[in-house]
Amino acid sequence: MCLTGQVTAALSLVGLCKSFGLKRAVDHLDLEVRRGCMFGLVGPNGAGKTTTLSMATGLLRPDAGTARVLDHDVWADPAAAKALMGVLPDGLRLFDRLSGAELLQYVGLLRRVPPAEIASRAAELLDALALGDDRDTLVVEYSAGMMKKIGLACALIHAPRLLILDEPFEAVDPVSGEVIRSILRNYARAGGTVVMSSHVMELVESLCDELAVVAQGMVLAAGTLDEVRAGSSLQQRFLDLVGFTAAGEESLAWLRSSSG
Amino acid sequence: MVALLVRLKLTLLKNSLKRSVWRTVGLIIAMLYALGVVIMVLAGLVALRYASLALTADVTVIGFAALSVGWLLMSMLVFGVDETIDPAKFALLPVRARELLPGLLVAGLISAPGIATVLVGAGLVITWARTVPLTLAALIGAVLGVVTCFLLSRAATAAFASFLASRRFRDLAFVGVALLGVAMGIAGNMVSAIVRTDVGGLRRSLSNLAILAGWSPFGWAWAIPADVSGNAWAETGLHLVLAVALVGVLWMAWGHFLGVRLVSPTEGGGTASKVRESAAVERLYPATPAGGVAARALRYWRRDPRYVAGIAGFLIGPIVLIVTQVINPEGTAAVAAFAPSLLGLLVGFSLAQDLSYDGTALWLHISTGISGAEDRAGRVMSTITVYLPLTVILLAIAMITTGAWHLLVPAVGLTFALMLTGLGVGSFVGTLWQWPAPPPGANPFTRGNAGGLPSLLSFTLTMFGTLILALPTIALVIWSFFTPWVAYASLPVGLICGFLVLRIGIAQGGRVLDRRWPEAMLAVSEKAA
Repeated sequence: MCLTGQVTAALSLVGLCKSFGLKRAVDHLDLEVRRGCMFGLVGPNGAGKTTTLSMATGLLRPDAGTARVLDHDVWADPAAAKALMGVLPDGLRLFDRLSGAELLQYVGLLRRVPPAEIASRAAELLDALALGDDRDTLVVEYSAGMMKKIGLACALIHAPRLLILDEPFEAVDPVSGEVIRSILRNYARAGGTVVMSSHVMELVESLCDELAVVAQGMVLAAGTLDEVRAGSSLQQRFLDLVGFTAAGEESLAWLRSSSG
Repeated sequence: MVALLVRLKLTLLKNSLKRSVWRTVGLIIAMLYALGVVIMVLAGLVALRYASLALTADVTVIGFAALSVGWLLMSMLVFGVDETIDPAKFALLPVRARELLPGLLVAGLISAPGIATVLVGAGLVITWARTVPLTLAALIGAVLGVVTCFLLSRAATAAFASFLASRRFRDLAFVGVALLGVAMGIAGNMVSAIVRTDVGGLRRSLSNLAILAGWSPFGWAWAIPADVSGNAWAETGLHLVLAVALVGVLWMAWGHFLGVRLVSPTEGGGTASKVRESAAVERLYPATPAGGVAARALRYWRRDPRYVAGIAGFLIGPIVLIVTQVINPEGTAAVAAFAPSLLGLLVGFSLAQDLSYDGTALWLHISTGISGAEDRAGRVMSTITVYLPLTVILLAIAMITTGAWHLLVPAVGLTFALMLTGLGVGSFVGTLWQWPAPPPGANPFTRGNAGGLPSLLSFTLTMFGTLILALPTIALVIWSFFTPWVAYASLPVGLICGFLVLRIGIAQGGRVLDRRWPEAMLAVSEKAA
C-alpha cells in the first residue's frame, strides 16, 4: 500500500534529460514514487524506460535533472543512495563465470552484508526462486528466465528499501513468475517500494498500485491504476496515450498468400 | 552476391567510422602505417630489377613466403580476423556457404592489410617484368599468392575457432598457441644465431633458405616466376600445380567451416558443468568488498579463457629469453637472470585492461556503490595471487639454469620493483581508458575493432609509466654491474618504491574511478561493431 501524507518519496526524479547524439532519449522527465508502492513504468519500445532507470540507479549520468532515493541524491551522494537500492537491469551481463551461489556471495560481500548472514540469505533466496538445484552451475549456462531470477536474488540479498527492476518478468515461466509476484507483494506489504518497467499491461494491472505511461522520454500519464485507466481498460488507454492507429486491411496484403 | 557483400562491408565500415572518432583515428593510423611499409617494400622491389635474376629469385621467394607465414601467424596470434561481416549472421538467410565465399573473399581483402598485400603482390609483377613469360608467371604467382595468404588466415582461424567452441578444449588450445609462439621465438633466435656465425656463407644460406621457402606450402605460388627465370620448367609446372591445389584445398576447408558456422552459429553449450563449491578462495582474502572482488577475479583467472591466454602470453617473453640464452653457447647469464623482470613489467597491463574485460557486468560494481579504491585493491590482490608464484618459479628456473647466483639479489629487486610499480601504474591507467572487449566465450579471433586505439594507449602508458617510475631501482641495478655492493641496495629500494607507487596508484586510480564510473560503464557497453 502506498503511504500517503508528508513522508519523503521513495524515488523522486525531477527534470531528467539524456540525449544520445541528436536523439533525445529522456526529455525533462518528472516522476515521484511514494513509499510502499508497487509502481509500474510502461511504454512502447524506445520510450526511454531503461535510460530513465539507468539514471535513477547511478549507471548513466544524466545531462540535466536530479534523482533522489529516500532523500539521498543519487549523483551527489551515490554511496548512501546506492546502499538503499536493489537493482535488476535489463540487457547487461552478469559475472557469469561464477556459479549462482558464488555470484550471490559476491554481491553480498560487495553490499557489506555480514558474512554470516550472506550464506543463509543466499540459500533462502536460491530455494525460494527454485534455483537450489543449480546453485553450483555457472550462471553462463542458465536460461534467460533463470538469469532474471538470479538477478532478482542479487538485487534482494542486502534487504534494500527500494527495488528497481527493469523487465523483471521477461522470459520467466508462469510458475516462477507467480513466485516473484508473491515475493514482491510481500516485500511491498512490509514497507518496501518496487519500481518496475514492463511491456505487459495485464501484469502491471494485476500487480501495481500506481503507474506511469512513458513515451518519447516524457511522462504522458501518471497516478493510481484507476486514475490512469480513466474508465477504460489499461490496454486501450495505453494505446490512446501512445497514439496508436491500427493498420488498415489492405496493408501487408501480400502476406496473405502464405496461408494458402 | 559478391557486389552485395562488398557493398555491405563498405556500408558497415562507413557507419562504424561515423559512430566513433577513435575508430576513424585508428583506421587512419593503420592506413598510414601500412602505406609506409608498402612504399618501402615497393621501392625495394623496384630496386631489385637491377639485381641478377638469381638474387631476385632468392629474395622474392623468401620475402613473400615470409608474408604468407605472417598472415597465418598474425591472424592466429595477434590481430585476429576482421569479422566486419560475420558469417554467423547469415545463419537465418537461405544462402549456402559456397555462394558466400567469393564475396567474403573480396570483402575481406578490403582492409588495411588486405590492400597492402595486394599492392605488394603487384610489386612482385613489377620486379619480374623483364620478359613477357616472366611477367606472365609473376602475375599468376602474385594472384595465387595473395589469395593463399588470405585463405590461410581464414581457414586456420575458422578451423581453430570451431575447435575452440567447446569450452573444455579452449584453455588447452590457448596454451597450445602460446607454446607455438614460444617455439617460433626460439627458432627465430636460433636461425639468427646460425646466420650470424656464418657471415661468409650468407649468400649460400640465402639460396638454401630460398629453396626451403619455395618448397614449403607458403612459397609454392611465389616461387613460380623464380622457376621461370631459371628456365626450370619442371619445377614451374610442379609449383603451379601445388599452388593451385593449395588454394583449392584451403577454399574447400574454409567453405566447410563456414558451412558448419551457418548451421551452428552460437557456441555449443548444452552440458551444464557444475563447479565444485569451495570456500578456500574466499578464505584467502578478507570478507570485505575488496576481498570479494579479489575472490571473484581469482575465479575468473581460472575460468575465463581470456585470462588464461593472458598468462600464457605474458610468460612467452621471459621463457624465450631464458631458453635461448641457456642453449646458445654465446648467451650471457645476465640476460637470462633478469628475464623474469619482463614478467613484472607486463603484469601491470593485465590490470589496465581488467575493467574492459568485465564488460557490462561492471554495473554490479557501480550499483553496489563500492569505492574505486576497493575495486582497485581487490584486483591487485588477485593479480598478485596469480603472478607472485609464477614469478618466483621463473626466477628459480633462471637462477638454477644459469647458475648466476651472484645476480640473485638485483634480479629479485628489479623483478619485484617492476611488478609492484606495474601494478600501481596499471591500477591508475586502467581507470583512464576502457573499451568493449569481446566477452568470454566469444570467438577470441574476432578483432575488437573499437578496442584498438584505447588499448594501445593504455598498454603504452602502462609500460612507459612503469619504466619511468621504476627508474631508481633500474639505475641501482645498472650501477651494481660496476660496483657490486650496490646490488644489496636495489632490493630494499625496489620494494619500498614499488609499494609506494602501488599505494598511490590504488588511491588515485580509485579517485578517478569514483568520478568516472558511469563513463567507464558507457565505454565498455558500446557494442563492438
